[in-house]
Amino acid sequence: MAKPPFTNDIRTLRFLSGEMTQGELGDLVGVTRQTIAAIEQGKYSPSLEVAFRIARIFGKPLEAVFQWSGE
Amino acid sequence: MLILYNIEFEFIDMEYRVVAFREKIAWLTLVSMAAAYTLYFGLVLAGHPAGRAMAPMLWLFGSIALAQVIVVVAGTTLFAIRTPKEGRARADERDRSIDGRSTRIAYYILMTGMIVVGVIMPFADSGVRLVNAALLTLVLAETARHLVILLSYRRGWHG
Repeated sequence: MAKPPFTNDIRTLRFLSGEMTQGELGDLVGVTRQTIAAIEQGKYSPSLEVAFRIARIFGKPLEAVFQWSGE
Repeated sequence: MLILYNIEFEFIDMEYRVVAFREKIAWLTLVSMAAAYTLYFGLVLAGHPAGRAMAPMLWLFGSIALAQVIVVVAGTTLFAIRTPKEGRARADERDRSIDGRSTRIAYYILMTGMIVVGVIMPFADSGVRLVNAALLTLVLAETARHLVILLSYRRGWHG
């Protein structure tokens, strides 16, 4: 499966947010722990709504969490 | 801090290697289905009366299908007891996306099989052979559906 044309800093942001676990972030966003893990590993591209929810939990703008890396 | 960061990364990877509830169900369904219907179609090909007469066919297929359903229900219950939080969790957008993809692919297999069974085969076959061909199509479509679910969870799917 090809990687999506963007990367994310969710792992780092989780660590900096009191070592938040994938499960805790998933509960706050409304998705499963496995979905957070898949997003972090570039195995799933979240919907715009979930991407905004993740950014909002960390108190960051969307582009601070997800960065375009394609052409 | 860097050490803690690395430990966290390792922990993240360990977390991901734990097979998710829905993935376990897909494995259970796929393996039990493969075992059950390999047995059924194996017996039919080996000359069991289920390949020629309706009553033995209904009895054999019904028994095997019921046994497979019992295995899946028992396994699902066991997984739900062992991981109650995951067992209660509703499907999220990734689960729904994967389910949609797998159902779409299975639909094309089912449609192709049903065209063969309902439009082409009646010119040459009838009765129990048609029913068994239809059952085989259903099994192949469901097998494909669960394979796609497993591949999507394992290798990723971008929706």
